[in-house]
Amino acid sequence: MRKIRFIALLSATALATGIIVSIPVAANAAPACDGKSPIQSCIGVTSDGAPYSMMVPANFGGTVALYSHGYRYNIDIPVGIPLIGGYKVTNTPEPVPGGNMAVAQYLFSQGVAVVGSGFARQGWNADSAIKTNVELIGLFKAAFPKTTKVVAWGSSLGGFITQALAEKYPTLISAAAPMCMADNVAAELTMAGDFLWGLKVLFDPSIKGTNYSAGAAGNAEAVTDIVKIFTVMGKLQASLATNAWPDTSSATGKALAAGGVPPRSALLLLGLMSGIPTQSAHFDSISGPVGPLKLTFPLALSPALAILENGTTAAILAVLATQDVEQQAGGQTFDNTKTDYASRIENERVIFNAALSGNTVIDALLGALSPANPGAPRAVGNSVAVSALSALASNTGKINVPTILMTGLADPITPAGSSQRVVDAYAAQFASEKLAAFAAYKSSKSYVAPVKKLLMLWNTTPGKGYTTFTDAGSPITSTPAATGTNHCNFSSAQLVLVAKTLIAASMNGKVPTNGAIVTAARKAGNLVIDPLLRAPLLKYYNQ
Amino acid sequence: MKAMNRRKLISVSAVLAVASLTATAVPAQAAEVGVSTSEIKLGMTLPMTGTASLGYNKIPGAAKAYFDYLNANGGVNGRKITLIVKDDRYVPTEAVAKTNELILKDKVMALLAPLGTANVKAVASSVNPAKRGVPVLFVNTGFSGFADVKKYPTTYAILPSYIMEAKIMGKYIAENFAGKKIGLLYQDDDFGSDALAGFKTAGVNFAVKVAYASGSQGAAAAAGWITKFKAAEADVVILFGVSSATSAMLGTAAVLKYAPQWMLGSVGGDATTIKLTGVPAGVLYNAIGFSPVPATTDMNDEYVKLFSDIYAKAVPGSAFDLNVLLGMNSAFMTAQALKAAGTNPTRKSLMAVLNTQGATLANSALSPVGYSGTSHVGLTGYWVGKYSPTGDLAPLGGTYVTYTTDSGAGAVVKSTYKRPAMPAKGLPN
Repeated sequence: MRKIRFIALLSATALATGIIVSIPVAANAAPACDGKSPIQSCIGVTSDGAPYSMMVPANFGGTVALYSHGYRYNIDIPVGIPLIGGYKVTNTPEPVPGGNMAVAQYLFSQGVAVVGSGFARQGWNADSAIKTNVELIGLFKAAFPKTTKVVAWGSSLGGFITQALAEKYPTLISAAAPMCMADNVAAELTMAGDFLWGLKVLFDPSIKGTNYSAGAAGNAEAVTDIVKIFTVMGKLQASLATNAWPDTSSATGKALAAGGVPPRSALLLLGLMSGIPTQSAHFDSISGPVGPLKLTFPLALSPALAILENGTTAAILAVLATQDVEQQAGGQTFDNTKTDYASRIENERVIFNAALSGNTVIDALLGALSPANPGAPRAVGNSVAVSALSALASNTGKINVPTILMTGLADPITPAGSSQRVVDAYAAQFASEKLAAFAAYKSSKSYVAPVKKLLMLWNTTPGKGYTTFTDAGSPITSTPAATGTNHCNFSSAQLVLVAKTLIAASMNGKVPTNGAIVTAARKAGNLVIDPLLRAPLLKYYNQ
Repeated sequence: MKAMNRRKLISVSAVLAVASLTATAVPAQAAEVGVSTSEIKLGMTLPMTGTASLGYNKIPGAAKAYFDYLNANGGVNGRKITLIVKDDRYVPTEAVAKTNELILKDKVMALLAPLGTANVKAVASSVNPAKRGVPVLFVNTGFSGFADVKKYPTTYAILPSYIMEAKIMGKYIAENFAGKKIGLLYQDDDFGSDALAGFKTAGVNFAVKVAYASGSQGAAAAAGWITKFKAAEADVVILFGVSSATSAMLGTAAVLKYAPQWMLGSVGGDATTIKLTGVPAGVLYNAIGFSPVPATTDMNDEYVKLFSDIYAKAVPGSAFDLNVLLGMNSAFMTAQALKAAGTNPTRKSLMAVLNTQGATLANSALSPVGYSGTSHVGLTGYWVGKYSPTGDLAPLGGTYVTYTTDSGAGAVVKSTYKRPAMPAKGLPN
């Protein structure tokens, strides 16, 4: 989808500026520019082989926006696999989010240039991407000496890369905007891995899930797992009507089935213990159809359907990202030998008690997933690989430059808790800065208040509910995903607001805190600025 | 010059006089969310529609009836109370959404009497009233955990905990049904967990325990429950569930002519609600019941008399029942707490009053609340009664004997609590 939009952007730009001529460029050489107006396009390759694209408006005022794209799978996906089939690994540069024309046009109208790389490798590539970005900043400045400010932004893993860049190289950039930001790799893969492990031990023990082989064999294993995930999720969807467990269920799963445990409750518990949101693109856990299911649907069914919708993408990520990271780390990284899933859902088991079918069922499920059950063997990580994983690029949430975060409250891939972690870290940082300012006042008698450097924009789900139903009472899933749901599901207006705020913050050295930004956020659609809103952290941090 | 000074002096005196008059007649400009010079806004979410709303949907009307009465008599320090009610249908996610609306859009000063353990927990974790400093007054759940000030610093329980109720039931069983086979129907969540903990502490041994998942109750399920109780030859069956579960059980029992000695928990024990579902009053006859507030038919009780009069005028034709009494009692306590919170009440001053004076606030209950800086435990006792042939609950022997205990290992003892007299006209003083 992103690639398609990006191609559309290039086409539109080509219409305005003439056909972009493909110029072979040597790695790390100066970019090859077409010299056109009103938008000059440049391409090149960094020293690590990452292709990049620069677009510079004729009214370039000295500010360039460096965009980091999100996670791209690092293996080709065969045609025929739902949702992602036919994907080919690509390092096409992406200088604006998803090639969004409205965003590009806004930036150009402000005299802001855009630049972005496709990065040298795909998969979990934060380390190499940060290096690429540092080099790219230098290349741009060399090519356009008028450059005075670099602002960095990115989505998903690109958001993570952006935050890490701002933490490590604060002198290179003036402001940052990590959007739908991924968490540190261990936290992200723990969420995805917990869910995938649960699917495996209850519903299909033939799913490999971890410890993929090296090279092409590992790729094939991953693809096979994806097919199995789609299959088992399809069976779980069907089970909502029949209450029958998938025929691929493990002995543990079959024992639970015999004990009367509904598979929808098992699926929901897996989602809750992993931290997957209970609102999805089409299921709000609020609405019910007219008729006898008016109450039962939101209370007992909708949360499981939301996990079904969200969990499918989470499980696919689990397979592909786990396989990629294992290749980098040299072995299995997922390890849940010490995970206490019962403590993870202490609160959720009360809130979703009806959908989980009561304490007796919950306890049966937790018992089945406990280390005491040999039928649900825990995943044991390779200690060397786990160490290698922890050595991959990470961020602490330290805010060095004015930063704008934006995320969906029900993002299933990069849960809102990823941003909450940064918000929490900054709260502590700001409190320290205030204390330091007060201490300075004691000696100088001149109080200089620290400036606010973090703005959090929450993309909320519609509060009144959004699940729609046919006249027969079936939920409709063909409508566009609700705001605040799905991964990085932002409107052009929301992205433009971030761009606008980002540019302003780079000029002012601080983020806006007045009513104007609250109004602008509301007008951009569904964005809320609420310092007291608190998204749950990823479960990794609570284990 | 002198004349001018005199004029100035007169002028200043006049201004001061007006200011003084104003200060006594009109509240000073308020500086708290939900509090204006003329109004205090409160918000409530609870099930108003759907099967789980049975009986509990009368609580908002009851609270409003009292607030209207209060407003007609001058309000609280000149401010009228406005209660904004939203229907959460007993769905936790919806309670979160509606509470968000109340706090962020309607900008209420405090939340009042939300219902349901799961809903209150969902709101606590997702909306985070504690971090926002929003008082959550008199939650309609007896889950013992809400008394925990560290976990829920702005939440105040009102009902005695389910643990307390089970312990008091256990004492009654030991004294009256020794050697009998006891059966228990309970909700398979924190509501039921608390009950199980209380019965365990009381040393009750069950011949059979039947759990139902919240939302699964109904006539078909009840037939299955009865089969289990019959198989265990239970002499006494305790119904420790919500109204819809109690009604389903008693209604089905009537059809199947199953008639053990019933013992009803207070949450699902309101006779009016049960009878509304078609359960014959005779089924309730001689059942044992428990209540923290006076019998709703006790017109000798000054609170019951006043509240029933107010309610009859406000909601003509609607029966005055336990849910109504509890709803009005919560509104009544709120009014007193707001009055005690000062001329310009704030969220902080309101909670400070509850923490320091809450246990002495007048109300209809026959045991005190246990609020302090370290605990937000609600009422602390129940009296035991029997249902009459018409299905009304009345105290055993015609006199209220209230038993009190805690949510821990403390003994169940007769309460010595003397309820303070009702303030004149039932208005905060």
